[in-house]
Amino acid sequence: MAQLLLISAKPEDRTFVETIAAATGLGLKIVATAEDGAEFISTQPVFAVFADTSTELQYQQLESAIQASIGLFSDKINANAFHFISSEELQRVHYLIKSQLFGHFIIRPKDPVEAGRHYARIVKSTQANRAFGLQNLLSDKAKVQIIKFQISTQKQNAVEAVKNYLLQAKFQSRMATVVANAVDELLMNAMFDAPVDDLGRPTLASTSRATAIKLDDKHTVELQIGYDGEFVGAMATDLFGSLDKNKLLSHISKIYTEEEYKVKTAVAGAGIGLATVFRSGGSFFFVSEVQVRTEVTVFFKRADSFREFKDQFRFISTQFYF
Amino acid sequence: MVNVVKEQKGNALIVRLAGSIEESVNFDQLIGIPPAELHVNCKEVPRINSVGVKAWIKYFQSCQAKGTILKFTDCSTAIVEQINLISNFICGGTVESIFVPFSCTGCKSELVGLFKTDDLKKLNLNLPDLKCSKCSGKAVFDDIPEEYFAFLTR
Repeated sequence: MAQLLLISAKPEDRTFVETIAAATGLGLKIVATAEDGAEFISTQPVFAVFADTSTELQYQQLESAIQASIGLFSDKINANAFHFISSEELQRVHYLIKSQLFGHFIIRPKDPVEAGRHYARIVKSTQANRAFGLQNLLSDKAKVQIIKFQISTQKQNAVEAVKNYLLQAKFQSRMATVVANAVDELLMNAMFDAPVDDLGRPTLASTSRATAIKLDDKHTVELQIGYDGEFVGAMATDLFGSLDKNKLLSHISKIYTEEEYKVKTAVAGAGIGLATVFRSGGSFFFVSEVQVRTEVTVFFKRADSFREFKDQFRFISTQFYF
Repeated sequence: MVNVVKEQKGNALIVRLAGSIEESVNFDQLIGIPPAELHVNCKEVPRINSVGVKAWIKYFQSCQAKGTILKFTDCSTAIVEQINLISNFICGGTVESIFVPFSCTGCKSELVGLFKTDDLKKLNLNLPDLKCSKCSGKAVFDDIPEEYFAFLTR
């Protein structure tokens, strides 16, 4: 039976992945070095690899060891199975963003048990043939609501409805606004950035985001939202399956505190939505089956204070099916 | 959708923005040709999305290019977040005052206090506690100081 592999000497990583193993029912092998990890992957079935990649050297050792044992493009394991753990913010770990092995990025949690319980749902969902659907990503207590759109201009009403729903669920108004903004960005991406032609070229890249686009057939966009009393999850779905991992990571890791934001007039989108959501406390799970479907989910944990809300456990997970 | 109330005071045009800034915003229509001095009151901007940010920068950069003196007042928490995230969000202007978020330690109510940026600099991030308007309890600053006030040190 395939199991989890942890390559780390940090006790907090061990606690985090042990929690995931317990919640998913998967076995766990822990090794301290990349060489031992690569050796294990080459001989045993591994479902997911969690690796401490806090420094570029640690990442390079992992990549070299994988290359030397099974190769970077092995059918034994692919990027979907690699979970990089780091204490650094995404913009500080460019070596991970550029990695051929990038599947998941986890900012080392302060509470590894609580974070492990939450993240276990991501891992568990990837055990299915396709990791689609919001219900599995929240606890059993979550009630998931589905909103279908007929026209893109309905987006703002949906965003306001999400905000009001969260206010009723006793979220602070600032938190509700942050989540509503995240939903806005996901929907805008699904409605305007996902559509591509047969050759994969974006068809609405330069179309004003205020344009009324009919959302039927291939352009169908759906929003699911659920709250389990602890986490709120919002998922936007499109039927193009056009998500590009490299572009995604480039956008999401971009910061404009050290360089200026330049307004690009050739495209109507701003290119800063997802990065803003991530910096505001959101975590992402991107699932895309090429030319079939993309689901983008954002998670936020409700907190008693905004400070705690902003400083919560965060990750970026991707799952691509070709 | 955002609305604008305009008022001319001497050489300065004062505009009060009210509402969420998103894809439908058209600052050229709402504010018009950049005047010599423009004061933008952002008290009632609860939310701004990425396309709203782009429209904002595009318009206020055009003001900057024309030599308009830009002042941003009563900046809501949503605007302060953007000022901190994007180095050129204020397009060469100055931030005169901002709303600072507080949370009551007793009843957990959200509160905001208006502070002049000059006063905040003097306080050196040591903010006074506020009295909760609902329960009279102690309200403390509710954000990460190094992030919320990052623009003051730029």
